[in-house]
Amino acid sequence: MRHTQHSPTRCTIVPPYLLVRLARLDDPRFGAAAEAARRSLLRDVPLREQRADAPPPLPTLRAPSARERGRVDRAIWDAVGQERLPGRLLARSEGWPATSDPAVNEAYDGLGQTHALFWTRFGRDSIDDRGMPLAATVHYGRKYDNAFWDGERMVFGDGDGQVFNRFTLSLTVIGHELTHGVTQHTANLTYRGQSGAVNESISDVFGSLVEQHAAGQGTAEASWLIGAGLFTDQVQGVALRSMKAPGTAYNDDVLGRDPQPDSMAGYIDTDDDNGGVHLNSGIPNRAFYLVAEALGGNAWEAPGQIWYDTLTGGLARGVDFAGFARETEAAAAARFGQDSREHTAVVSAWHQVGLGQSRGAGAAAE
Amino acid sequence: MKVIVSRSGGIAGIRVTWEVQVDDQPDAPYWRELLSALPWDEAEDAAPPPDRYVYRIRCAPHEVVLPEPQVSGPWKDLVDRVRAVNEDR
Repeated sequence: MRHTQHSPTRCTIVPPYLLVRLARLDDPRFGAAAEAARRSLLRDVPLREQRADAPPPLPTLRAPSARERGRVDRAIWDAVGQERLPGRLLARSEGWPATSDPAVNEAYDGLGQTHALFWTRFGRDSIDDRGMPLAATVHYGRKYDNAFWDGERMVFGDGDGQVFNRFTLSLTVIGHELTHGVTQHTANLTYRGQSGAVNESISDVFGSLVEQHAAGQGTAEASWLIGAGLFTDQVQGVALRSMKAPGTAYNDDVLGRDPQPDSMAGYIDTDDDNGGVHLNSGIPNRAFYLVAEALGGNAWEAPGQIWYDTLTGGLARGVDFAGFARETEAAAAARFGQDSREHTAVVSAWHQVGLGQSRGAGAAAE
Repeated sequence: MKVIVSRSGGIAGIRVTWEVQVDDQPDAPYWRELLSALPWDEAEDAAPPPDRYVYRIRCAPHEVVLPEPQVSGPWKDLVDRVRAVNEDR
């Protein structure tokens, strides 16, 4: 077996012959000739190299004071299979027409839909609330099976084509990455352990809300899946994660079973993944879903507002789950009133995932 | 001598592990040289960027955990080699 004794038992365990397949899938090796040809091709574009080192050009210059709040300003770069940022080519800037590249258009549209949620529902003007241009890079690396936020921009791989499709296919993933930027500019939660899992959960919450808002889906109609459509049809699974039912998104002979816990009873202690930030995020994810379920209607309204108020209301960088639960309860009480329907729903949701206190004990302790 | 590379994290949070028995490799001397020259004790504890991979690299008695952006130079060479051996099996 290629997993080791260091492996947390609840973590995905992949059989060796399948690991071999996985390794092959996400580490494609171009033939020497193809590699040489590609390098030669890239050497022929020194001007593009130079452009790649410069910051993305803005379509129009405008004085900061004259800037109209809430105006989206996007730039999508193409890394052309390299692992350099921002990329080789500016593929689409704000106001440019759609291109023939679906990844470029998906990133462009997804950034617009994410910006629209934060601006129209929460009055937040881009990542920093000061109209920061939204930058993304597509076609990062060779068959790169990931998407990430690098502190300045969203970066999307093409996937290997056998386990993963391109990562721009999922609007929740685009919203997830951009929300990492919002978190960085607000609570700046430490990306490790429970505060890291809260960071991850906030990205899943708002990533999911971006999709629901764009599709006009209420809580009952929404899938509550993160990364639906990312797996190819060779994988037994519907998405990377389920907020409604953590631990049920996939169960596949190659990938194993979705390891996310849905309550504190299944909390995973691990050193991997920065202390299980993508695993234990299932717990606060489900709490958010339970709030939305209890309140009904559109999750970007009261539930989203409570989570947004919490994120922007002075959350401690190293907050743990219990502390985050208390902060959401306080935010619900502040906005909707103590013992309001919304406040009660939040308290009850945390209780159901094994956090927070019972109504009576919580009230006594406050 | 055995090298184990475990990659966790990424937006999917799926862990993958590869390992290599150095003594079984046709170029075992090169592997030993590469492994002995790695800066095992110089890894910095950098803040991990969201959704990037985390690599745990072990070769007893050494063990190091590196966020993806730090897997460069000889570390990248090692990781690529370990993965390549696993692919060829």
